[in-house]
Order: sequence, then structure tokens, then C-alpha cells
Amino acid sequence: MDDLNVKNQPALKQFVPTPPRPPHKSERGVFGTIRHRCFNSIGNSLLTLCVATVLFYLVKHVLDWAVFNAVFIADNRRQCMDISPDGACWAGVISWFNGLIYGRFPIDEQWRVNIGVLLGLVWLLPLMSKRIPLRNFVLLSWIGLYPFVGGYLFLGGRFGAELGLVHGAMTCLALAFLVILYANWILSALGKKGLNELFVPLVSRFVERRIHLLSFVAVWLLVGLVIAFGLSQIALEPVPIDRWGGLFLTFIIAGFAITMAIPVGVILALGRRSKLPVIHWLSMTVIELVRSVPLITVLFMAVTLLPIFLPADMEFNKLTQVLVAVCLFAGAYMAENIRGGLQAIPKGQYEAAATLGLGYLHTMVLIILPQALRMMIPNIMTSFISLLKDTTLVSIIGLFDIMLMARNIANDKDWVGMHTEPLVMISVLFFILCYSMSQYSLNLEKRLKVDR
Amino acid sequence: MTTSCGNLAQKAVTETAIKIDNLNKWYGDHHVLKDVSLDISEGEIMVVCGPSGSGKSTLIRSLNHLEEYQEGVVSVFGQPLSRDRQSHKIIHQTMGMVFQNFNLFPHLTVLQNCTLGLTWLRKMSEREADKMAMRLLDRVGIAHLATRYPGQLSGGQQQRVAISRSLAMEPKIMLFDEPTSALDPEMVKEVLDVMIDLAKTGMTMVCVTHEMQFARQVADRVVFMADGEIIEVGPPEQVLVNPQWDRTKEFLQHVL
Ligand SMILES: Nc1ncnc2c1ncn2[C@@H]1O[C@H](COP(=O)(O)OP(=O)(O)OP(=O)(O)O)[C@@H](O)[C@H]1O
Ligand SMILES: [Mg+2]
Repeated sequence: MDDLNVKNQPALKQFVPTPPRPPHKSERGVFGTIRHRCFNSIGNSLLTLCVATVLFYLVKHVLDWAVFNAVFIADNRRQCMDISPDGACWAGVISWFNGLIYGRFPIDEQWRVNIGVLLGLVWLLPLMSKRIPLRNFVLLSWIGLYPFVGGYLFLGGRFGAELGLVHGAMTCLALAFLVILYANWILSALGKKGLNELFVPLVSRFVERRIHLLSFVAVWLLVGLVIAFGLSQIALEPVPIDRWGGLFLTFIIAGFAITMAIPVGVILALGRRSKLPVIHWLSMTVIELVRSVPLITVLFMAVTLLPIFLPADMEFNKLTQVLVAVCLFAGAYMAENIRGGLQAIPKGQYEAAATLGLGYLHTMVLIILPQALRMMIPNIMTSFISLLKDTTLVSIIGLFDIMLMARNIANDKDWVGMHTEPLVMISVLFFILCYSMSQYSLNLEKRLKVDR
Repeated sequence: MTTSCGNLAQKAVTETAIKIDNLNKWYGDHHVLKDVSLDISEGEIMVVCGPSGSGKSTLIRSLNHLEEYQEGVVSVFGQPLSRDRQSHKIIHQTMGMVFQNFNLFPHLTVLQNCTLGLTWLRKMSEREADKMAMRLLDRVGIAHLATRYPGQLSGGQQQRVAISRSLAMEPKIMLFDEPTSALDPEMVKEVLDVMIDLAKTGMTMVCVTHEMQFARQVADRVVFMADGEIIEVGPPEQVLVNPQWDRTKEFLQHVL
């Protein structure tokens, strides 16, 4: 009966899709692009030439001062002046280099700082790899456990004595976690089961539920014990906190502020959205109060007021007070960023989560916050960059961070009045740090964009 | 096409799945649900239709407590629901919901969308959850898209993911709120086919939809609502072909 239809009606044309063509490529090379962009009209050409000339002189002067006429080897400022009066005197910065990086940390113990920073980076390395066991816990463990390792290395003392047993135990657990993390990484690359599964057969003989968790805990404790035994054999020279300084201290303060900003910010932001009046008003007061006050006053308040409010027998050093202040400050700003992200999440996401049966915590942690944070990456990164720069303010209340060390150079009798070179060096250093952070944020944004 | 292929015909004994008793809801002074009462049997396919603003969404969302209501009782399998934990548990264990605009989680892959509830709420192992989700995705014909993100799918595909995500929690009752209204005509069919398949498995379904063809084909009963009231309830051939009320007739003339 199909034949009948075909005969009566005109045959339908058959649609054949046009074959795809490769996309258009630009044929212009570097020179083509420059000519097209910069010399496409007389006015533009003139402008290009003017700017190029100005740029050339600027760069030439800077290079003359910083490189060609600069002095790299000298004993004091006078010698520098004699050798080359109109060049930079890097010799001063070089002779103070150690101080700029480590502050007044004893020279013989500086390896501990290096190891500590290295450990911190090594800990985060697994984040680079896409699929490795325990990856979800890397960041969490870093935030929760790394500070103990850092504290142990930087403060020193006999194991479990000066810093207390709890701190010692946490240090061992932290190191044990790191060991398991890396062992698992290697084992999984070899196609073997993770170290934390070691006791699964044994544990499964005694219990039926949570076998994997129990096995993990058992392995963790065991490795921790071994490490504890190892650590108890060595005693590190104690280094008091007021010897900490330089870039090292800046990193500690900024690193603490940056890692605490998101957790504190999330708590404050969620608190502000809470339906419970007490929590709502409390969060709001903290956010608005801290945000309406310059960081420098927050710092001063922390140092002068905190000891008054807290019980007298609670001992505080200046660094702890500063860390608390910076953490509050960072959290309050971050809270507003995160609140912006939260507001952009459509109501449907909450409803979908609710119909699946997810509770408040699950909904927030699994559904809402990942999206909100992703959306706010540019703002969050901007906050982080300002935080890194703002932490140099702590020099004003007398912490020997890189800024104060730099200003100290000018007070050294050999290098009296040398202000410019250290500041230039710090500017370059901060530019490199902040620029890489902003590049990383762009990269992160691009990588996460696929999802939308 | 007036022959119904619903489930009720094949079922001898039926239990009441949802019992709605004198439901009343106000938005401020606006009375959006007026004394709504309805029984839905287990395995029944109930289609709810009616003009825009008549309270269809409000009604279906009241069933799983996405909306609060001021008066009336909803019972699920004989259990009257209130606002306590126990009721929430019953709701989440028995009811799944599919939304007009899908509401997939955009930061998770298709597979992760489906396994989320299994791994976090059912505490299922990742491998088991993946297996179960893949089976469901295969059933709705999109297993090959499992590693994509929702933003990379067409509307029809997204809605099918949303259906699989709900089914993964093994609900006894599925609620659909205009599942095809946000879709291009070409994609409507692929979603309706999935729903028809689902209906054949004996799932209890409550669907708000304007797809009258679908209603005639699979519905056991059709509810017609207007101005917050249920005006007519009955088998599709009765409500859609021989309506008793002028309001129903007027509406049908518009949509058919
Ligand atoms: N959040 C709200 N606040 C106030 N009024 C609302 C709200 N949500 C819905 N309404 C009102 O309640 C009534 C019923 O809305 P509902 O969404 O249930 O209608 P509907 O039948 O689903 O319509 P549609 O077919 O357009 O989806 C409408 O008159 C609407 O204006
Ligand atoms: Mg609606």
C-alpha cells in the first residue's frame, strides 16, 4: 500500500546533511597580527610608535638601574655608592637575604622550615592527579592535620613534652596519614589494594559492618605508633615563636588566613541565612562589624583587647592573637562572597536534593556549596590575593614578617638608609606570588567550566 | 485510541497509595487549594490537568511536602503525614519527583547524579551504586552519556537522567510536574516513551501534564482541576471525551 501512495503523491526529496568543514584558521603570523592590530591606520601607527618609544626608555632606565649599573658584591652601602652611584645596591639585600626569608630563625635550625614547607607542598601534590585513592580527604587532612606537623617542626622541643602529648599524638597521626596517602598512591599505580585495606580480612572476622573504616583506623594507628616511636628518639632544639619571621612568617599568616577563610566564611554565610534568630544575628553582627573596620584596627584589637576579655590564666602569644584576627577578617569577607554564590543557586536544586531525601548537611556539602564556591572562584581568588598582601600589615604591630625585616635593613649600620632595594625585591616577590595565584584561578575556572 | 492500558485493569486487589483528605492551602489571602480530596490506589496512573494557575503544581508538591498546607491530611500507604522526621522518612522512601526544569545537579556527571543518593543515603558501595545507576540509565536509553555533565545534554536527555535519578532511590510512587513542558516537541516523545514504559511496570504515578495523548493512552484516571478545586475525576474516556462540566469542556477545546 506504500506503493500506491508513492504513485499518487510527488516523491519527497531526501535530505542529505552537508558534510562538515574544518573551521576557518587565521593565516596571519606574528607579524601579520601586529600589522593588523597596531598599524592599521596612520593615527594608530603614530600612537604605537609613541607608546613604543616611551616603553623603550622606561625599560632601559629600569634595566640600567636594576641590572647594568647594579652592585651585587659589596660589604656596605658606602662601597656600593663608590662602585656605582646610580645603580641598585643588591649586595645589601643579598646579605640580608636569609633574614628576609627566615626572620630571626636560628640558622642551624632553618632546615626545619624548609622541610616543613616542603612537607606541606608534598601533602597537596596528590590533588594534581585526577584519580587517586583518598583524594577527597587530601585537602581536609591538610587543613586539619598539617598544622600539627608544622607546629612540631617549627617550634621544636622534645617529642610530647613542650607541646604536650595531644599535639604529639596528632603529629604522629598526621604523618601517618601522609604515609598511607602516598603508599596508597604507589600501590594503586601498581594495581594493588591500598594500605588501608591491609586489615580487612582480619577485621571482617570479628565484625560485619564498617569493615573498611575499622581497617583504615587500625592501619592508621599502627603507622602512627611506629612514627611516634621514631620521633621519640629525637629532640629538636626549641625555637620560640618570636624568632619566627620573614617570608616564612608571612606564609604562615597568609596560609592560615587563606585556608581558614573558606570554612569560617561558609559557617558565617550559612549562619546569616539561618532561620534561628540567635545564629542569624550573631553571624550578621560578626560579618558587619569586622567588615566595617580596617584590618589594622582588627589586628590592634586582637592584640590589646583579646587578653582583656579572656580569662587571665589563658596565655597567648602575639602570633596566635594575630592568627585569630586575620582568620575572622578573612572569614567575614569570604562570607559575603559565599553568600553571593548561595543566592545564585536556583531553588530547584534544594528541591531536587530534598526529594532525594538529602538532609541539610548533605544538601549543603554535596550540592549547594560546590556550586556556590565554583561560581565565586574569581571573587574568592581576589580575596585571597588581597589577604596575602594585607598580611604585611602585621609588621605594624611588631611581628617580624618580611616587611619589617625589609625595613630593618635600613637600620643596619652597614646599610643605613637603604629603603628602595628591599621594597623593590618585595614588590617583585609579591607580584610573582599574586600573579601566579590569579593565573591559577583562571586555569581553575576554565577547568571547571565543562560542568555548566 | 480510547482504550486504556493502565495498570488497574490487571490488578485484582489494590491498596490506597495516597489518600488526600480535605486539603486546603492559602498563599496569604489567596486560597489556592480548596477542599481537595482524592484517593490514589497502588499502581494507578493518575493524570492531573487543568488551566494554568489552577493549583496543580501546588497539589502535587504538597504530597511530598515541598509546599506546606494549612488544612487537611495526606496519608501515604495508610500513614498520615505530619511535619516530623518520621513523615519525612516515609516521603523520601516512597516518593520520587521529576520537575519541569529537570533540576539536575550541574556540577556532577550524569552517573554521579544518579548514584549520589545511593552512596550517601543508602551507604551503598560505589561499585554497586554505579551498576544500579547504569542499569537505570540503560533503561531510559542514555547509558552512553553517563560520564557527561548535564549541561552537555539535550533537554530530553536531561529529563531522562532526572527520571533515572529518582528511580535509583526505588520509590513506590513517582510524581511528575509537567515533565515535558520545557521540551521541544521532538524531545517530548522520548520522555513520554520512558514514562509509558514506567507505567507498564506497575509504578504508581501522579503526572501533571498537558499531553492529552499520553493521558488517554496510559492514565487510569484523569483529574481536572480549576481554581484550586477538583472539578472532575474519572477514566480518561469519560473526562476527556464526555466531560460532565462546562469548565472541563472549555479547557479541552483549548488544548486539543
Ligand atoms: N510562591 C507563591 N506565592 C504566592 N502565590 C503563589 C505562589 N506559588 C503559586 N502561587 C499561586 O498559586 C496558584 C496555583 O499555582 P500553581 O503553580 O499550583 O498552578 P499550576 O496549576 O501548576 O499552573 P501551571 O500550569 O502554570 O504550572 C496560582 O494562582 C499562583 O499564582
Ligand atoms: Mg505548575
